Amino acid sequence: MLQIKNLHAAYGKVEVLHGISIDVPQGKVVTLIGSNGAGKTTTMRAVSGMIKPTGGEIRLGAKDVTGMASHKIARTGLAHSPEGRRVFSTLSVTDNLLLGAFPRLTFGRERGDVQGDLNRIFDLFPRLKERREQLAGTLSGGEQQMLAMGRALMLNPDVLLLDEPSMGLAPLLVEEVFRIIRELKARGITMLLVEQFAAAALNVADYGYVLENGRISCHGPAEQLKNDPAVKAAYLGAAH
Amino acid sequence: MEILSQLIVSGISLGMIYAVIAFGYQLTFATSRTLNFGQGEALMLGALVGLTLVGHMSYWLMIPIVLIFGALQGIVVERIGVRPALKIKSEFGWIMTTISLAIIFKNVAENIWGRDDLKFPSPLPTAPLNFLGVRVLPMEILVVVGAIAIMLAVEFFNRKSIYGKAVVATSNDRDAAGLMGINTGMVITFSYALSSMTAAFAGVLIAPLTLTGATMGVVLGLKAFAVAIIGGLNSGMGVIAGGLLLGIAETTTGYYISTGYKDVPGLLLLLLVLAVKPAGLFGKSEIKKV
Amino acid sequence: MGAIKKISIILALAAVAALPYIWPNPYYIHLMVIIGIFAILLLGLDIVVGYVGEVSLGHAALFGIGSYTAGVLNFQLGVPFLLAIPASIAVTAVFGAILALPALRVNGPYLAMVTLAFGTIIQIMINEMTFLTNGPLGISLRKPVFLGHQVTGTDYYYIVLVALVMTVIVVQRLLKSHLGRAFEALRDSPVASDCMAVSVYAYKVYAFVISAALAGLAGGLFTYSEEYISPNTYNFELTILFLLAVIMGGRKTRSGPILGAIIIVMLPNVLSDIELFRTIAIGIAAFTVAYSAFAVTTRQRTLKEVALPLAVTIGLAVFGYFMENITEHRLTIFGVMILFVVYYLPDGIMGFLRGIVQKYRPQWIQRHEIITEHGDSQHVWSVPDHPVSAKGNLLEARDILMQFGGLKALNAVNLEIAKGTVHGLIGPNGSGKSTMMNVLTGIYSPTAGEIEFNGKIISGTSPSSIAGEGIARTFQNVQLFGEMTAIENVLVGLHHTYHSNILDVMLHTPRCRKEKHAARVRAASLLQFVGLADLANEEARNLPYGKQRLLEIARALALNPSLLLLDEPAAGLTAPDIKDLIGMIQKIRSHGITVILIEHHMDVVMSICDTVSVLDFGQKIAEGTPAEVQSDEKVIEAYLGGSAEAA
Repeated sequence: MLQIKNLHAAYGKVEVLHGISIDVPQGKVVTLIGSNGAGKTTTMRAVSGMIKPTGGEIRLGAKDVTGMASHKIARTGLAHSPEGRRVFSTLSVTDNLLLGAFPRLTFGRERGDVQGDLNRIFDLFPRLKERREQLAGTLSGGEQQMLAMGRALMLNPDVLLLDEPSMGLAPLLVEEVFRIIRELKARGITMLLVEQFAAAALNVADYGYVLENGRISCHGPAEQLKNDPAVKAAYLGAAH
Repeated sequence: MEILSQLIVSGISLGMIYAVIAFGYQLTFATSRTLNFGQGEALMLGALVGLTLVGHMSYWLMIPIVLIFGALQGIVVERIGVRPALKIKSEFGWIMTTISLAIIFKNVAENIWGRDDLKFPSPLPTAPLNFLGVRVLPMEILVVVGAIAIMLAVEFFNRKSIYGKAVVATSNDRDAAGLMGINTGMVITFSYALSSMTAAFAGVLIAPLTLTGATMGVVLGLKAFAVAIIGGLNSGMGVIAGGLLLGIAETTTGYYISTGYKDVPGLLLLLLVLAVKPAGLFGKSEIKKV
Repeated sequence: MGAIKKISIILALAAVAALPYIWPNPYYIHLMVIIGIFAILLLGLDIVVGYVGEVSLGHAALFGIGSYTAGVLNFQLGVPFLLAIPASIAVTAVFGAILALPALRVNGPYLAMVTLAFGTIIQIMINEMTFLTNGPLGISLRKPVFLGHQVTGTDYYYIVLVALVMTVIVVQRLLKSHLGRAFEALRDSPVASDCMAVSVYAYKVYAFVISAALAGLAGGLFTYSEEYISPNTYNFELTILFLLAVIMGGRKTRSGPILGAIIIVMLPNVLSDIELFRTIAIGIAAFTVAYSAFAVTTRQRTLKEVALPLAVTIGLAVFGYFMENITEHRLTIFGVMILFVVYYLPDGIMGFLRGIVQKYRPQWIQRHEIITEHGDSQHVWSVPDHPVSAKGNLLEARDILMQFGGLKALNAVNLEIAKGTVHGLIGPNGSGKSTMMNVLTGIYSPTAGEIEFNGKIISGTSPSSIAGEGIARTFQNVQLFGEMTAIENVLVGLHHTYHSNILDVMLHTPRCRKEKHAARVRAASLLQFVGLADLANEEARNLPYGKQRLLEIARALALNPSLLLLDEPAAGLTAPDIKDLIGMIQKIRSHGITVILIEHHMDVVMSICDTVSVLDFGQKIAEGTPAEVQSDEKVIEAYLGGSAEAA
């Protein structure tokens, strides 16, 4: 579904990604793990069009989306729940969710049943339903994360990018987030998940890639990576 | 006492014009973090184009045409002055380009309409009405009604339609808005079109009350900026309060001190507010993340 | 190259000095005088616009203040030329300060508007205060009389020429000194500047006041040149002309403002002579066509890119043929020129020429002074400006709360940093580590709680004053002064060691020279310490990422800190580099500098930290020796999300 081939990206003159390749098959959950500064978020941003790659190719299904503007990529069916949530703080929860379906409500994507999907999102995130008219900026960190994920889902995406959904969340909420990711997996949604919490990510994913200093150092089925000592050493440190 | 009430009433209609222009500044600043230094010129062009049209049709028919003209003028400013500067990420750039476009518009207007001030025919009877001992011109009432109407219309659009919400989303977080499939470049162009449109509208509202000429926009634009700052460049209601404050301060200064100094309170107010609370009296201070 | 440059300058000066004798036309001599006067003002304006990077729309007003000071003093009090000119400089500098002190708290469009408002108010006041300025009627006076001799137009030419040469020398010295470096630093990275004790606000004010003083000098000279002044000269059109001159001439050069002055003085003359305008317009169009053809055929530019400038220049030439009178359209032409320069000649004509020369003869262009001083291990360390006097902990952060809207980034955090230790601060992404750094260095003011450093409460004070107290830092996202060389970056950190004032710099006194040399030796030594000695004269932005981070450490050490905050120094470093880094931090500690270290690389943290504090969701969850923390249950859970492991 999503194919990243030999992706290069840079910030100014400094190259941060040195040719990485990731394959996300339809209906699978692939996770990209690695320590801070390895380039995980940069990868996500290059895929969704927030930054322009300096080399390589990105394909969404049959379509080549390399270097396209982010709004066009969204319209082809790629949803990105960004690092740091980035909800629209002066708009209500409902409005934030509706904006997730912007291409469906305007043009670019099949409309389908927007209202129905909105209700289904509220069923998935009951806490958002309680706060549907509240301004997004007043929500707590965990609620904003729910909102960001729900907003991305409103696109009815072919591929969902989740960038560090657990960041800054209390352990109970982290559990909640991963429960929801498992639920989405059960529904067959294709996902690329970037996470700092390697163990949790590898528990929910089908396949994993380890990113180190802008390069894929190893990859394999999640079960395999979980028990790989090299992975543990790579960024869990000498601690374990 | 009677004179004071009179001054306050004239101050209100003047203040509402400032508020509308300031509102225009807010529109572009919210989505793009840029301002049109030629906002006053947008008003001036609206007034002069309206003047020419009014010779061939009624005032009311002329208004929608001026609105369209204003929108087009805004698009020109955005395409030539702002978009290329934003691409090269130069703040200095868009300041200088919008200033230069303002100069060009003013000069072109001088050459087409001449350097003298012209009289704009009033669409409403010029006989003043009497409200509780205060004389109010019907046109002044139209100004207040018109100004509030257009600001409410834009607010309504922002709140109710999905496109309006897309504009608000772009102001909140441009990158995230792009992820929603919103073409933020077009949103910015749109906000400039809307901004110049409201300025042009303000132009045909105020033209019958003052003299219309190529120079009418310059000082108006500067004082409206003071109002935008007082109101806080992110807040909606503040501009009305700021506009009224300035309008009344001006009419009273002009009468009690001297007409030569009439422009000074606005300018001093601007300096004062920026020195004390740059986020404006109603605005929120932004915390920059490092 | 130095000799050729010197000789050509002397020849140029000789030619300019001989001009009134080669061409004794009083009209043209007067034009030259105006060019000289404008050039003086523009050299000052370049400091604000070219170096600091702010738009000032009030310089015509400052010019007017200088002008009117001389005029009013002469008109009301009969003050002679030799006293009036210094008075113009002083009074305008004071007005410049009155404007700058409140105005420079804001920047960008706000500043532009404020200066515009200021300019408008000044013009109104000059017009209305007739008791002082004679209002719209203006003031007349005569050129001075020196020792019985009435100064003529030609004599005045030499007076202005001398003033211009002196201005160039003074401005050159200023901008090549540590003050000039401060101006560049605050533009490149205001955050880093403040954290290196170079207060962005203070230096913007200095830059503005200096430019005001020069505007005052120009204004005073202008009054005596014209022998009649009136309020409507100092209007918005003049201020725009000044800006056009600075950006068209070329910023950050001395020749740019002079070229700009020539252009704007000659421009009205060109515009009033339609034949001359047509010739020049055709010349420019022809040049653009030739250059475009060259650029497109050699594939340096696409056809699309050159289409617009071609259209504009050819259009201008055609326009010239249809018009009989251009003067009425002059503002449109100024506007178009500004647009053109902003998009196609951002570095002005001088910048454009320099770019061409750099391409074909790079050795002729010297962007930075090559600093040859060598360092040694003796000069690396120095004593802090504020010696450590605290008896207990060096730094104590008590109950720190940092709230952004609804989000509590730091929630009642307590931190005690003991003297002479390396204190690690770790935690998962988003736990508040960088926020803590920013609170400690004054970038954020804590919502609640206080910070005591070396016996003094520092919470709520500015980053530059905290840096002055002895806290230095590096940044997670590298904040180097990219356009400066490595050694210049370190020299900014050494700014606090310069005690020479502006007069010392202008006169290049021995004290100034001594300090300069000492700082350079120190900077070279610091670069040697971090292993960057051979890259001293490389531009910082060209350095590889790992070396940039080391440069930040050298720059921070230049502050002579008693506390050094390192924000993820190992990020992006390879294994051998990390070993060097650890050695460096150990040496830093052995010289008595306390270190707070934010790091994700566990090996680094474990090998050098004496104490480690662990943050999670804005709260401290563990503290102790590295071994203790490593085996702490809560820490393991925070880093691995242990509870989510149960599938």
